[in-house]
Amino acid sequence: MVGVTASNYSRAQLAAIASVRWQIFLHSLRSKRGAVELFSRIVIGAVITGGGLGGAILLGGLAWYFVSQGNPEALALVLWPVFLFWQMFPLMATALSESIDSTNLLRFPLSYRTYVMVRLVYGALDPATVLGTFWLVGITIGIGWARPGLMPWSFVVLVVFAAVNMMLTQMIFAWVERWLGQRRTREIFAVLFFLAMISLQLIGPMLSRYGDRSNAAFHWAGRFANPIQAILPPGIAAGAVASKAVSHTALAFGLLGALVLYAAVILRILSVRLHAQFRGENLSEVVGRGKDEVSRPGVRLAWKMPGLSQEAAAVVEKEFRYLSRSGPVLLTFVTPIVMLFVFGLGGRTGSGAGFLQNWPELGLPVGAAYALLLLTNLIYNNFGPDAGGIQFFLVSPASFRSVMLGKNVAHMGVLAVELVSLWIGVSLLFRPPTATAVLITLSGLLFAAPVNLAAGNLLSLYSPKKTEFGTFGRQRASQTTVLASFAIQGLVFVVAAVTLLTARHYQRQWLAVAAFFMLATLAFGVYFFVLTRVDRLAGRRREILTTALCK
Amino acid sequence: MQQNAQPSGSPTLTSVPAISTANLTRRFGELVAVNDVNLRVAPGQFFGFLGPNGAGKSTTIKMLTGLLAPTSGRIEILGLDFAERTSEVKRQIGVVPEGLALFGRLTGAEYLTFVGRMYGLDRETTAKRSAELLEFMQLANEPGKLVTDYSHGMQKKLALAAAVIHGPKILFLDEPFEGVDAIAAGTLKSMLQRMIARGATIFLTSHVLEIVERLCSHVAIIDRGVLVAQGSLEELRAGVEAQAPGTLEAEPGRKLTLEEIFLHTVGGVRSTELELSWLG
Repeated sequence: MVGVTASNYSRAQLAAIASVRWQIFLHSLRSKRGAVELFSRIVIGAVITGGGLGGAILLGGLAWYFVSQGNPEALALVLWPVFLFWQMFPLMATALSESIDSTNLLRFPLSYRTYVMVRLVYGALDPATVLGTFWLVGITIGIGWARPGLMPWSFVVLVVFAAVNMMLTQMIFAWVERWLGQRRTREIFAVLFFLAMISLQLIGPMLSRYGDRSNAAFHWAGRFANPIQAILPPGIAAGAVASKAVSHTALAFGLLGALVLYAAVILRILSVRLHAQFRGENLSEVVGRGKDEVSRPGVRLAWKMPGLSQEAAAVVEKEFRYLSRSGPVLLTFVTPIVMLFVFGLGGRTGSGAGFLQNWPELGLPVGAAYALLLLTNLIYNNFGPDAGGIQFFLVSPASFRSVMLGKNVAHMGVLAVELVSLWIGVSLLFRPPTATAVLITLSGLLFAAPVNLAAGNLLSLYSPKKTEFGTFGRQRASQTTVLASFAIQGLVFVVAAVTLLTARHYQRQWLAVAAFFMLATLAFGVYFFVLTRVDRLAGRRREILTTALCK
Repeated sequence: MQQNAQPSGSPTLTSVPAISTANLTRRFGELVAVNDVNLRVAPGQFFGFLGPNGAGKSTTIKMLTGLLAPTSGRIEILGLDFAERTSEVKRQIGVVPEGLALFGRLTGAEYLTFVGRMYGLDRETTAKRSAELLEFMQLANEPGKLVTDYSHGMQKKLALAAAVIHGPKILFLDEPFEGVDAIAAGTLKSMLQRMIARGATIFLTSHVLEIVERLCSHVAIIDRGVLVAQGSLEELRAGVEAQAPGTLEAEPGRKLTLEEIFLHTVGGVRSTELELSWLG
């Protein structure tokens, strides 16, 4: 082609993509919503930077301490938290993950290499990577402060370690998305997932039985965990720095080589998924025929939902169908149960026990609060998954009040299922929650849920963002929504904490229940007040809704 | 060229118009996308709304269907003020918007069931009509397929099925034939003709002038936000010939095509004479 050479082709494409994203960003500032979004982004950025700097100082301090005390192999203790955070945070906070649908780029003559570059670069623009990078810089400085001669080597090792983390996160996302994309693989994945959770739970009884009861965790770590962690990326990175510190240069290079090998293997496994996407893979599925009431082949009668208007019932049915077809969303819903398993780790009692083993009465309320927190991804962006379907709501005679009510009922239905699952989980893993714990949890939710629903309904209209239920991660909510949801969760948490602490102070737990019921009355008042106004609001914001959701 | 010519001798003129607008205007900042448009569509008409790209067609149809608020002016549907009686008006109309307004992660049958319920049909009627529409639109063969996996033509057919499930009196279609193959287009046309036969009014925008010429009895042309012509095809043809006699070369006995009328009305120029340096 005239004017284009192979050598500058990829570079030109990458520059063009960066340029177009910059232009989109600049254009977004023309609207008020764009300016608010920028403000929210700055605030969230400041919070992340604060967390990054704080963590960097803390971890850097620890690294300095270990190296200056002649114990550099203990660096694994600072690298493991970084590693776990880097891999877990994107799963737990998908709203903050970077969103770029690079499949849109496939219509251009992009080479596979450029496609991979785009995915890696833009996939790295998420808080976990930013924070992880900050912390690794802190650790490098800490090591350098203690032993300046070790700093260049540490820098190289930790750069490779960072690359491993970045690619591993993307590899996990890409493969989980693949496994959750189709029914059969989703079922296999679910079985494996639960087996893994149950295996984790076995660690506790093992510790109690075989370990020294007072130091079970340390004994277990010494016997089993240490050799295993030493061959995983954080352990290898720590080993590489420690070997260099004691002048075992060959071993240090060997361990660095192992880390590079990890990076290469992870990139190769990631590449399998990226290559499939590059070739235009479609993970959609055909829905099996159900056994419900069927009037004609393929057409089932709509659900009957007594107490709800016909329109609201139709929306509830539609929402459940959507949710049931989204593996990623279903996985999110399982997370509170996973949390029970994770926090239940350790011996049955004593210092080696998980915190829920010691305070099982907290299992239900903490799990319920976490379940509600996860639901905010849906509640605060009600129309995101509907995308172009918003036009239907705007042209149909159904009121937005009914539509919102239907969505809220569906989401609260999910919360109810979560609560029952949590109750069963807590009962099986620890002991059945007391009636007081159940009452406090329910009354607390009666307060927190309508507050979140009211705020969510408003933000769904003020700050909508198109999302795709079929993809895992890469679904960043509007930054305005993220900021507002943080503020509301903070408020709810403070009010709940004050209520609970007051009741505890007076040793009258029923006080908390009574206070939550009173707060719930107020919250429901606010909720219904908002609900009566959503039609007018949606009418005023229909242009913004269609622009944001029909892109 | 006649400005806003009315269809002469139409018996529907005396009745309440299906669609009428008065000084309908929409501004986007400084840009006046639709300027003082006065439309009048009689009941039972198959009405084509034409214009070059960016002329204001989609903006107008969005305002007529409630997707966009007018800056000023008034819209009446079947004599009802849209702004005042929005819900009542919406029950009388069916819409296939530009983006089709589908829910991708439902099957076709589920989507039609959902739409039927949202328009207030009971469960049995919804199921019966959904099944019939899926059969008619030839979408019943793959009941488990999600809408997102439908071809573009299938999505258009499903969107049309959804727009008619409640038996609307007026149907608004934004580019219904765009990107649709001949077989799907045939199905769509067949459905639209049935709607007209049972007395419905159809208002469509399209760039495919041959289809508009074949289907529509009346046409309006908008250019740069201003309605420049409105009437039956014969009226528009007569208007063009009267305004510029001899300038358009149609063989004796051959009528001017809608494309010729359209190009003359909007002052379109074919760019075949221009050169592109890099194409030679």
